[in-house]
Amino acid sequence: MKTRVDSFPYLLLIPAFLLTVTIVAWPLFETFRLSFTNASLRPTQKYVGFENYIEIFEDDFWEVMSRTFIWMFIGVSLKMIMGLIGAVLLNAALPGRAVFRLLVMPPWIVPVAIGVFMWTWMYNGQFGMISGLAQRIGLLSGPFEFLAYKQSSFIATIVTDVWVGTPLVTLYLLASLQSIPKDLYEAAWTDGASRFYRFRRVTLPLLAPAIFTMGLLSAIWTFNSFEVIWILTEGGPRGATTTMIIDTYKTAISRFRFGEGSARAVMILISMSLFMVIYLILMARSARKLGKSS
Amino acid sequence: MNVKSCLLASAAALFLGQAASAQTEISFINCGAPDGAAPEQQNIDVAEWEAMNPDYKVVQEYVPWGQCQEKAITLASAGDPAALAYMGSRTLPQLSDAGLILPIEMSAEEQSSYEPSVLSTVKFDGSIWGLPRAFSTKAVFYNKALFAEAGLDMPDGPQTWDDMIAAGKAITEKTDAAAFGMPAASFDNTMHAFLNFIYSNGGEVVNADGEVVFNSPEVVETFQFYKDMVPFAQEGPVAYDRGKIEPLFSEGKVAMIVQSFGYRGRTGDVDYGITWIPNGPSGDHATLLITDSLAVFKGSGVEEAAMSLAKFLNEPMRQANFDDIAGWTPVRETDISRALVDKDPNWKYYLESIKLGGPEPQIIDYTALQDVMNEAIQGVVLGELSPEDAAKDVADELEDLMED
Repeated sequence: MKTRVDSFPYLLLIPAFLLTVTIVAWPLFETFRLSFTNASLRPTQKYVGFENYIEIFEDDFWEVMSRTFIWMFIGVSLKMIMGLIGAVLLNAALPGRAVFRLLVMPPWIVPVAIGVFMWTWMYNGQFGMISGLAQRIGLLSGPFEFLAYKQSSFIATIVTDVWVGTPLVTLYLLASLQSIPKDLYEAAWTDGASRFYRFRRVTLPLLAPAIFTMGLLSAIWTFNSFEVIWILTEGGPRGATTTMIIDTYKTAISRFRFGEGSARAVMILISMSLFMVIYLILMARSARKLGKSS
Repeated sequence: MNVKSCLLASAAALFLGQAASAQTEISFINCGAPDGAAPEQQNIDVAEWEAMNPDYKVVQEYVPWGQCQEKAITLASAGDPAALAYMGSRTLPQLSDAGLILPIEMSAEEQSSYEPSVLSTVKFDGSIWGLPRAFSTKAVFYNKALFAEAGLDMPDGPQTWDDMIAAGKAITEKTDAAAFGMPAASFDNTMHAFLNFIYSNGGEVVNADGEVVFNSPEVVETFQFYKDMVPFAQEGPVAYDRGKIEPLFSEGKVAMIVQSFGYRGRTGDVDYGITWIPNGPSGDHATLLITDSLAVFKGSGVEEAAMSLAKFLNEPMRQANFDDIAGWTPVRETDISRALVDKDPNWKYYLESIKLGGPEPQIIDYTALQDVMNEAIQGVVLGELSPEDAAKDVADELEDLMED
């Protein structure tokens, strides 16, 4: 017996398919193609094989890559921890909860560039609030430029990125917390479970998919975070805050070495794919666990 | 007003609107802010050109320094170029190498009207690639009150590097201010400021034969001078480009700053003196010779009109007037430029240092040059590189860049 295939749903998918090909697949293909050429501002380009990739590894790529992962790991960890604490507090029946929920929003609502410019002034040694405050309470004996030194600028970029990224994590986890059925807590409470035990055995397992999802998204955003570093330090001093995305931008856009820049972009894509694999594994495990427990 | 009048007025408005829309647009990218005396003067000149060329409408866009050049180049490389753009002349080798800009036809007589050092910044491979629009030479502004408070007897300001170091010590010890505004951020004027001191010590980056001669005793001495000045500079020089140092000078928080003549209007209430770039042990007062130019892009469809506009703006007296209003060092010798020193004797520091001055190196990958130089300067300022290593690192990288 022949099964008749209804083609109408596929016809409906065509516009979305074409759009995806145009704005995702084609640029991706072009990036791959360019990465094997010496494309620059010059009108002609030629195929150079893996030369661009070899050059990446001959440069300080490993240093840039490890810096990127350290920067991302610290940033995402802080965002997740602070976001989770914030979400739990905002979910608790505390007085003035609505006000606190509003106060979480500004870093997320303010355009990133404006927020980061504000931080450049806060980090300024002569006129900035942080240095001024630290001098007033005796932590510093004179002005300190947070963006002038390798370690302090590395920390400063992380702090600003955490400031930008935490509100979204908080709100996302708060929404997930609110979707956990109250009767589970009531049952645990009836069984004599302590507050911490309820958090560990009820909240965390049920929040795990949201934490994984948010963690992955946050990792991708943090990995690709450009504005924060570019506005604060442009990757300096002496490359101390140059992450892979900054390195790629400098090569492809500032120096107009499109071929080399594309090869660097491909390396970012490969790195990001690792996150996707990790995410899928964790999600599968989480699903298995939930399946078993239910 | 009756119905007939209304209809006639509407028809006239429609006609005028259509006539206006029939004008061909000339897009013109400028760097910096759209307000101030120089942009206003340019607007007047552009309006005059438009009146003579009613078929064209010039659409000017002002983009902040730091993005304007990148924007013009990106648009051109994407096949949608601005017709005309104000570019740092250091970008011209890359643009001409990529075939994105048009050479400027200029008679020998026209060429001879420019300061030779000005023309050399836009001329290479036997052609001229931009019309010099702004010429900048540098000198040192010093805060007289801070010098007096520190008990310094330097009525004409610091004349040598030793003077600067002596002033640095005295000002740091006896006042609350830092002595020297040192730019060392990852920005072009970090390299520019440093080049002033290299040239004032007889150093070079690339010699007349096109050889990299950066790893020289003169350049090592200049790095050493920077290292010696760090304790007397504002805290954290690596966080400062020249623009960020300006408020420190006008607030009396630093005593010396390297600036162009046009900076006079932004010094606040500071009682300042001006002197040339202090010379090092191996050189004499000199300056970096830096120009910005008008570049005409290929492929805009209005190349001829854009070229006409650029040449109109750059006509000798019109350009001289623009230089005068903006406070730029004149690109040509004219009656206006000859009267400058009489008008303000401080001009001599900007004009007399030209003869020993040096250019921005003409390298296709100028951004890489800038990054390499800035990283070396930052390395010395942060104490991570010795002056010798810094000079060697830059020379090695420059040789690679020249080969590319």
